[in-house]
Amino acid sequence: MSDGLTSDINARPWQTKALTLLRDPLTLALLAIVVMLGIGEALSPGFARGDQIVRLLTVAALLGIAAAGQNLVILSGGAGIDLSVGALISFGAVVAGNVMNGADAAILPAILAAIAVTFLFGCVNGIGVTVIRIPPIVMTLGMMAVVQGGLVVFSQGIPSGNAAPALMNFINKPMLFGLPGILFAWLALSIAMVILLRRTSLGFAIYAIGANEQAARLVGLPVKTVRVLVFGLSGALAGLTGVMVIGYTGNSFISVGDQYMLPTIIAVVIGGTSLAGGSGGYVGTVAGAIALVLLQSLLTTLHLEVWGRQLIFGATLLVLLGMYGRQQAPRV
Amino acid sequence: MNMAIEAKSLTKTFGSVRALTEGRLRVAEGEIHALLGANGCGKSTLSKIIAGTHAPSSGSLRINGQEVSFASPRAAEDAGVALFYQELSLIPQLSVEANIFLGREPRTAVGAIDRKAMRAMAQKLIDRFGEAVGPGLRPEARVSDLQPGERQIVEILKVYAKNPRIVIMDEATAALDSRQVAVFFDFLREKRGEGVSTVFISHRLAEVFAICDRITVMRNGETVAEMTVADTTQEEVVRMMVGDIHRPQKRAAKTGTATPIFEVRNITGARFHDVSLSLAPGEILGLGGLQGQGQSALLRGLFGITPLTAGTLHLEGRACRMRRPAQAMAEGLAYVSGDRVSDSVLQGRSIYENLLAALVMREGKLWLSPRQMAPRLSAEAASLKTKYAQLSDAINTLSGGNQQKVFIARWLATQPRILLLDDPTKGIDLGAKADLFALIRDLADKGVGIILYSSEESELLDNCDRIAVFNGGAVVTELSGATLDSFHLTRAAFGES
Repeated sequence: MSDGLTSDINARPWQTKALTLLRDPLTLALLAIVVMLGIGEALSPGFARGDQIVRLLTVAALLGIAAAGQNLVILSGGAGIDLSVGALISFGAVVAGNVMNGADAAILPAILAAIAVTFLFGCVNGIGVTVIRIPPIVMTLGMMAVVQGGLVVFSQGIPSGNAAPALMNFINKPMLFGLPGILFAWLALSIAMVILLRRTSLGFAIYAIGANEQAARLVGLPVKTVRVLVFGLSGALAGLTGVMVIGYTGNSFISVGDQYMLPTIIAVVIGGTSLAGGSGGYVGTVAGAIALVLLQSLLTTLHLEVWGRQLIFGATLLVLLGMYGRQQAPRV
Repeated sequence: MNMAIEAKSLTKTFGSVRALTEGRLRVAEGEIHALLGANGCGKSTLSKIIAGTHAPSSGSLRINGQEVSFASPRAAEDAGVALFYQELSLIPQLSVEANIFLGREPRTAVGAIDRKAMRAMAQKLIDRFGEAVGPGLRPEARVSDLQPGERQIVEILKVYAKNPRIVIMDEATAALDSRQVAVFFDFLREKRGEGVSTVFISHRLAEVFAICDRITVMRNGETVAEMTVADTTQEEVVRMMVGDIHRPQKRAAKTGTATPIFEVRNITGARFHDVSLSLAPGEILGLGGLQGQGQSALLRGLFGITPLTAGTLHLEGRACRMRRPAQAMAEGLAYVSGDRVSDSVLQGRSIYENLLAALVMREGKLWLSPRQMAPRLSAEAASLKTKYAQLSDAINTLSGGNQQKVFIARWLATQPRILLLDDPTKGIDLGAKADLFALIRDLADKGVGIILYSSEESELLDNCDRIAVFNGGAVVTELSGATLDSFHLTRAAFGES
């Protein structure tokens, strides 16, 4: 519109442009991935070999699918966070394992059952948050405890249910171009997430509610319905992750998903989604999930003691989050 | 006669805005003195300087003959000056007594709060309002459990618990009923007998004439008159507040014969009661009066943001209800708030997304194609002369005025039949205001019904066919034709129909 404004933007010195690019979380995450691969290869030749990277991406895919739901919840703001994803991954794995019980024919019913059940749990989270007005952190923490307790009662603490062979092949064996099927599934999910967020009214509503809930209400957006749906989707994606996890490990045990809870949040935040909601996206989360898995793998390769790994892992995250925190502070 | 307050040539600028250009106020010891003026005349700024909330940019202030410059409200309080806050300053979770003595609780010998003494002192203060308050107003009651009038009394008592010699009462009677006002006035007279001086600010002219000894009138940041109540009339005071009577350039007023597009009958809500209005297609109806008399609350009630507790709404003769904004939108209403930060801006999102917001639900599409939407939205933005580089730029790259244009264009895209404007020009530049009102007139010519609330009366006078004037949550009178001028508007704003 205004020529003055356009030329001003174009006339920014390259230093400013470079600085802006460096502040972009997606660029930072990609940069971190390249640097870590370089360090890994230098310290332990073979670290960045093709099959190693495929192995790494497979682990990242499991995290990335669960983080997609977390991503939606955090984007929708209102202190949105889903602490029940870990427990729901376990639940999805146990349900899928018991429905499948090693039979290829039962894979589809297993997936549907796991997703349906976890979707309902997620919706309960959403209803608790919107209708009863329980803060998300409390509601989902409570849900986590309930689901974990339920799993103990259900399975008596004994691992039960087996993955069907076809599912295990889908996740662990090359399918096309030397890549396992789960990577194509993750790619498809990523495309679906990007389209959902950028091209649909649901995606628009998620951003709008996260950016300014009152403004979203005043333009007629169904704030509560969207929130319930978002928590439901987070549950369903955790359930889907559960199915993939049982395919990865072969059988299900009741705490199989616990280790995923915190990493889903970290992957989302490293990927540049604001914890305050309303800004960010899934492409960043994909990069975040890969960077996170890579960091864990690199620290293992360094043959550090457990405490050393945890120390470096924690410090790296604090540095990254600190950088984003400052960048996103001025919101007015 | 000893002067309690002597303010001379006080000025105050906020950035480039001159809120006060010539503040003069002389209040004698033991006097009740009214400070009057229309919205934005500088009376609040002047009171805040005297109470130590603002430091003056220049000028002199004497309290009891001493030249002073207060560093903080606390310093003013130490000099015996207390300000009654128009915005409630009570902590709802605390008890009445704890609120009254907050920060100055009586202490025992060892330094603990002396609860017994505090309760006795609070009870003594409450007793002075004796018959005018309900049994709920006890020292140990929680403030959140009190009625609005009782809360305001606690606020008043909090001021007097500081044993002030000079009290500034800014709209202290706003939430009181007539019996409470009568008792409060007795209390003020009693304080006058003790030599306490009161600066009295009110939106009810009748009250001023009932209780005050003298009046200072302000206009456009200047003190313009000082007079004795006994020697003047309400008529003359209004004339002083108005100055040269602003007679607007009338737009070709719509004939009132058309069937109303929107009728509001006897509706009551959070901060307004028993309001009836009717709007013809193509008409611009103004909501006038001093700030905070229920105009914004009414518009928010009409749009379904806050609930209506009584009354009916009729759209083109058909009864309808607005329980949620989505419902009001479906009926063809649009609402533009003046509070952009809390009500409009999708912070951190693009100009495109901010423009798109209202259309998403209005058209109920699942699929949003920028290729299809962007030309429509940029056309709406262009109709308001919105200046921006690219639709994909972040909304906060725009100035306040351009942002507000985006938020109006957002609603224009939905092609509303009725446009509710809630002080839409708050904090935007003159150029943007002119563009905005040109567009509003244009929309009215196309048959859209418009209800406009503005805190600037010239905006109402210049653009409205009719003005409903609010005082204390109710419509005092409607101005149109010959009475549509600043004199009648100001007179009605102070409660004279």
